[in-house]
Amino acid sequence: MNIDRRKFVSRSFAGAAGILAGSHLKGLSAPGRLTAKQEEALSSKPEKYDLMREVMKYRKIDAHAHIYFADNSPREQLDFGERLGIEKQVISRYLSIMPGTPEQFREYNDLTIKAIKKYPDHLLGGFVLNPAYKKESLEEIKRCTDAGMIGPGELYYQVKINDPLYYPIIEKLIELKMIIFSHAECQLGVGGYRMKYNGYKEPNTSIPEDFVDIARRYPEGIFQYAHIGGGGDWEYMCKTLQHSPNVYVDTSGSNNAENMIDFAVELLGEDRLFFASDNSYHQSIGKILASNLTEAQKKKVFFDNYNNLLKKGGRNVD
Amino acid sequence: MLIDINAYVGHWPFMQLKYNTCEALGQRMDRFGVDVSLISNLNGIFYKNTQSANKELYEEIKASKRYRDRFVPFAVINPIYAGWQYDLEECVRKFGMKGIRVYPKYHDYEINDPSLIELVKKARDMNLPVAFNYKMVDSRQRSWMDIDYVAYTPRPEWTLKNIFPIIKEVPDARYMILNVTNSMQLNEADAALFNKANVLMDTSGRTLTDMGSLLKTQGKERFAFGTHSPILDYLTGMLRIEALRENEADAATKELLRSGNAKKFLGL
Amino acid sequence: MKDVMKYRKIDAYGNAYADDKLAAGQIAYADRLGIERLILSVPVAKQMGKTPVEFKAYNDLVILAVKRYPHRLAGQLTLHPAYLKESLEEIKRCTGEGMTGMKLYNQFKINDPVVYPVIEQFIHYKMIIHVHGESQLGVGGYRMKYDVDNTPAISVPEDFMDIAKRYPEAMFQYAHIGGGGDWEYACKSFRGYPNIYVDTGGSNNDENMVDFAVENLGEDRVFFGCDSSFYQGVGKVLASGLTEIQKRKIFFDNYNNILKRSGCGLG
Ligand SMILES: [Zn+2]
Repeated sequence: MNIDRRKFVSRSFAGAAGILAGSHLKGLSAPGRLTAKQEEALSSKPEKYDLMREVMKYRKIDAHAHIYFADNSPREQLDFGERLGIEKQVISRYLSIMPGTPEQFREYNDLTIKAIKKYPDHLLGGFVLNPAYKKESLEEIKRCTDAGMIGPGELYYQVKINDPLYYPIIEKLIELKMIIFSHAECQLGVGGYRMKYNGYKEPNTSIPEDFVDIARRYPEGIFQYAHIGGGGDWEYMCKTLQHSPNVYVDTSGSNNAENMIDFAVELLGEDRLFFASDNSYHQSIGKILASNLTEAQKKKVFFDNYNNLLKKGGRNVD
Repeated sequence: MLIDINAYVGHWPFMQLKYNTCEALGQRMDRFGVDVSLISNLNGIFYKNTQSANKELYEEIKASKRYRDRFVPFAVINPIYAGWQYDLEECVRKFGMKGIRVYPKYHDYEINDPSLIELVKKARDMNLPVAFNYKMVDSRQRSWMDIDYVAYTPRPEWTLKNIFPIIKEVPDARYMILNVTNSMQLNEADAALFNKANVLMDTSGRTLTDMGSLLKTQGKERFAFGTHSPILDYLTGMLRIEALRENEADAATKELLRSGNAKKFLGL
Repeated sequence: MKDVMKYRKIDAYGNAYADDKLAAGQIAYADRLGIERLILSVPVAKQMGKTPVEFKAYNDLVILAVKRYPHRLAGQLTLHPAYLKESLEEIKRCTGEGMTGMKLYNQFKINDPVVYPVIEQFIHYKMIIHVHGESQLGVGGYRMKYDVDNTPAISVPEDFMDIAKRYPEAMFQYAHIGGGGDWEYACKSFRGYPNIYVDTGGSNNDENMVDFAVENLGEDRVFFGCDSSFYQGVGKVLASGLTEIQKRKIFFDNYNNILKRSGCGLG
C-alpha cells in the first residue's frame, strides 16, 4: 500500500454516513461496491484533530483519585493534573484488603490531610473509615471535616454499603450534605453476584444491587458508585442503577471501553455522571472526549455535576 | 499523519459494539484525524474457520476505493486448524493482507505450540509481522461464555511473560504486541532478548501510563499509535502521545509515534 | 417437489437392512424423493465385524438386501484388515456377487499399515474405499485434552490425508460431512487431495455446508449421500447455491463416474 498524502484527498468517510446504513446489522456481509457517484460524493481527507486543545477546553474536577504512601505521591498525581488540565482532584487513601482499624484509618486520613494542606489549590480530601467501629468512625468524620475534607473518600471492602452497620454513618453524612462514595464491583463471582464463578474477592464487596438497596432506604442520600470503568460489567451496573435517581456514578477506572460513557448517559441521564480517573488519567479523559456527548453534556460531566452537589454543602470549588 | 496500528471491525459476541464496520470506523478516523488503520476482523476470533472472517474483511474492503486506500488488513490465522497454510497464502496473495493476528487463548493452544512456531517462522520468511495481544477485554467484565483467564485468580490474565516464549523461540521474526495491559516485566536475560527483538507496541494499553519513561527504557522506535477500537475508546491511545511534553518527546519523536514507526515497521 | 424430482440421484451412503419392513421403508423414501440407487453398506455400531464370521455375516446381509431390490440397491462390502487372508477372500467373493466398493469402520485407522494390502486390492478393482470419518474435539487423536472416550481408531481427516498421499491412485470417500463433525475442518483438510471424496450424508443439514464443500473441494469430489437421513440429504443440496449442473453432478454424475471406472456405472 502506498501512503501518499495526495491520494487521501477525496478518500474521506465524512459525509458517507447513511450510504451503507444498516450494514452492521448484517454482520460483515459485504455492502456491495459503491457507485462512482457515491464515491465522488465523499468529502476531503480528515482534518487534523487537535486533541490537546479539546482536552484543555474543559474545566475538570476529578471525583475519584488516590494518593499513596510513596515518595512520588502526590507529585505524580499533580503532574498528571497539570498535564491534562484537571483543576481539582478528590483524593483519598483507601483502606485495601485489611481490617481497617481506627488506627489504620486515622493514619490513612492523616496522609490525605497533609496533602490537601500542602496543595490546597489542586487537591480536595476524602476521608475513609470503617463502620464496624461506629464511635471512632463518627469521631473521624468530625476530625476530618474540621480539617477541611469535603466528604468520604472511597469507602472500601470492609463492610457492604447497605449493611446496617453503615446506617448511622450514612445518616451523619446526609446531615452534613456529603456525597456518600463507595468502592463497588460488578464481576461474576464477586460480592454475591453469581458465586458459582469464584472471583477470589472480598466477600463484603459492594455490588450494584447493594447501592439500589441503600439508596432506596435513604432517598435523601447522595451516593457515588465508584468507577464504572473499574473493570466490571458497566452495562449491568448502569441497567441496575437506572431507577435509583440518588445514585451517581463516576467514570473512573483503567477501562475505557468505547461507548461506555454514551451508554451511561443514555441510561442514567446527563446529570448523574462524574468525571473521574481513579488515577487512570489518560483513559479518564479519552473516554469522555471520544463519546458522542454534546459540549454542554461534557461540561456537566467534567465539572458541573459534581460541583453542583458540592454546592449543597457549601463545598463547591467556585 | 496518523496511523492506527490496532483496530478492528466485526462483532464481539457478548456485547454490541459501535463503529465496527469499515464505514463507521472510517467516520471515526475522519472525525479524529486518523489517515490509515490496520484492521482485522473480530469474527475471526470466534469462527473455527478463521478464513471466513478474512474473506469477509476482504469483501468489505473491496467495496470502496476509500477503504482500500485507508485500511491495511491483517489476517486472523489459527495454526492448529486445518488448512491454515493455504489460508495464509490466500490472505497475502489474493486479499493483500499485510500481517497476521493470532489468538492463542481464544484458539486454545499454548504459546510454544509447534504449530504456532511453524506459523511464526513462515511469517518471518514471508516478511510479515505477527501480532499478539495481552487480552481483548478486561476479564473482570467478561461474559460467562468468554475465556476464563481472570485477573486476581489462580488463572490470571496474560503478561509479557506469557507472550515472550515465542519471541525467544523465533527471535528474528517481527512482532507486534498490542493492548499492553499488564506487566511488562521480564527477567534480566529475557528483557535483554526482548529489547533486541523487532517489536512494535501500540499505545492503547493501560500499562502505558508513564510514556515519557517508557520511551527512554524501551526506545522511541518501539511504540506506535493504536486504539484497540472499537473495544476501547478512540482517543486514549492518541492522548498518551499528544500529552507528552517537549522534554519527553520532541516533535520528531511524536511523528515517529504517530506514523513514522508504523510506516517503517510495516514497510508502507 | 418438482425440484426434488428433477434430478437423478445416487445415494452414496445407504444402510443395509435385514428386516423386510425396514428395507421396504427405505425404498419408499427413495421413491418419495426420487433416489434411483442406494449404495448400501453394513450398519455401523460401536463394535462390529470383529471376526471373519461376523464380517461375512454383514456382507451376506448386504447381498440379501441387494437381491431383494436389484435395480435400486448396490452394495459395499466390509472386512477386518487384521484377518488379511479372509479379507482378501471376502473381497473376491463379494465383488463376484456384484458389490461395487468397500466400507471400513473403525477397527483400524485408514492409514494403519495393516490396511495397506486391502487398499491395494481396491486400487486393482478401481473401486472406492468408503471410510467412516469423524472430526470432533477429543476423537481419534484430534485434540485429546477434550477426550470424549470414543473408539481410539476412528479415522480423522489427517489420517485420510496421510493415506491418500501414500496411495494417490486409490479413491477414498470420507463418510458423512453432515455426520456431526466439524465439516469446515474436514473440507479444508482435503483441499489439496484430489483422491479424497466426501459424501454429504448425516443427520446434520447445516446451511452452507454443501456450498462450502464445493468451494473447497471442487464440484467433482462431493457425493450426495443420506446415511438414512433422507429429507436432510436432499434438502441440503437443493438449498445450496450450486448451479443446476453442479447439483446434477453432486446428486448423480460424480458417483456414477466412480462406478463407471469399475464398469458398474448406471446408464
Ligand atoms: Zn475502587
